[in-house]
Amino acid sequence: MNVEEKFTVPAATLVEKPEEYTLTVELPGIGKEDAELHMDGRTLTLKTHAKYQNPAGFRVVAAEFERSNYAMSVDLPEMADPSALSAKLENGILTVSVKKRPETQAKKIEIL
Amino acid sequence: MNTLMNIDPWSFLDDLLGAPSRTFRAVRARAAGRFPPVNVLLDDNAIVIDLELPGKTAKDVDLTLEAQAVVIADRPTETADAETGKVTTARPAWSRRLELPFRVDADKANAKFTNGILRIELPKADAPGVRRISIAG
Repeated sequence: MNVEEKFTVPAATLVEKPEEYTLTVELPGIGKEDAELHMDGRTLTLKTHAKYQNPAGFRVVAAEFERSNYAMSVDLPEMADPSALSAKLENGILTVSVKKRPETQAKKIEIL
Repeated sequence: MNTLMNIDPWSFLDDLLGAPSRTFRAVRARAAGRFPPVNVLLDDNAIVIDLELPGKTAKDVDLTLEAQAVVIADRPTETADAETGKVTTARPAWSRRLELPFRVDADKANAKFTNGILRIELPKADAPGVRRISIAG
C-alpha cells in the first residue's frame, strides 16, 4: 500500500567554524533508528520515518505541535569535504559535522 | 542596520513596568517562540501531557504537581561568582501551569524524556477527595 507521507522541514542552523561546518537540526521525537542521512555530491538529505501514534482511547484536548516526520536537504558549501562527515542524534537534536577540505585551509605565508 | 528583524517588540514593556514582570516575561517568551509547545491527551482515567523540548533532558526541567494543576518550568541555572563564591540563581526562562480536569494520584505520576519530548502521565486519583463525616452525638 502506498500511503502518501507528510513531512515537515525542521528548524536547522549551519555554523561555519575555522576547520569545519556544523549543522544542527531540531528533530523532537525522532530516535537514531528513525533518521536517515544521505550524501549525494555536496547535497545532504535528511528523512525520518518515526511511527508515532497517540495512546489508544485518548482524545486530544490541546495540540500545539505535530508529531510529524521531517525531511530536508542542504547543499554544503564548496569548501566542505563530504567524505569527512560525522553525525549524531541526541535528545532530539541532530548534529552533523563536516570538515573543510584541507587545501581550503588558511595558510600563513612567510615573507622572505 | 536596524531592520525589522532585530527590534524587540516587547522591550517597551520593561520600560513601562520599571522591572520585568513575571506575566510579561511569559508573554514575551511565548512571542519569541521560546515557550515549549504542549499536547494534551485525555481519557476517563488519566491525562497525558507531551512537551516538545528538543535538546533538553531531565536535569533541565522542573515539574511540580499542585492539587489540581501541574507546573512545568525551565530549571534555573545557578552560577557561582569566581571571586566571591556567591551563588546566583537566574530566573527560569519559562514556566507553564496547566489546570487539570480532575485530581490526580501524585504517587503514580510518571514523567519521562524520549528524544527531546517530555511525556507526563497523570492517573486520576481513586478517591475523589470527597469524604463522608459521621456526626457524633
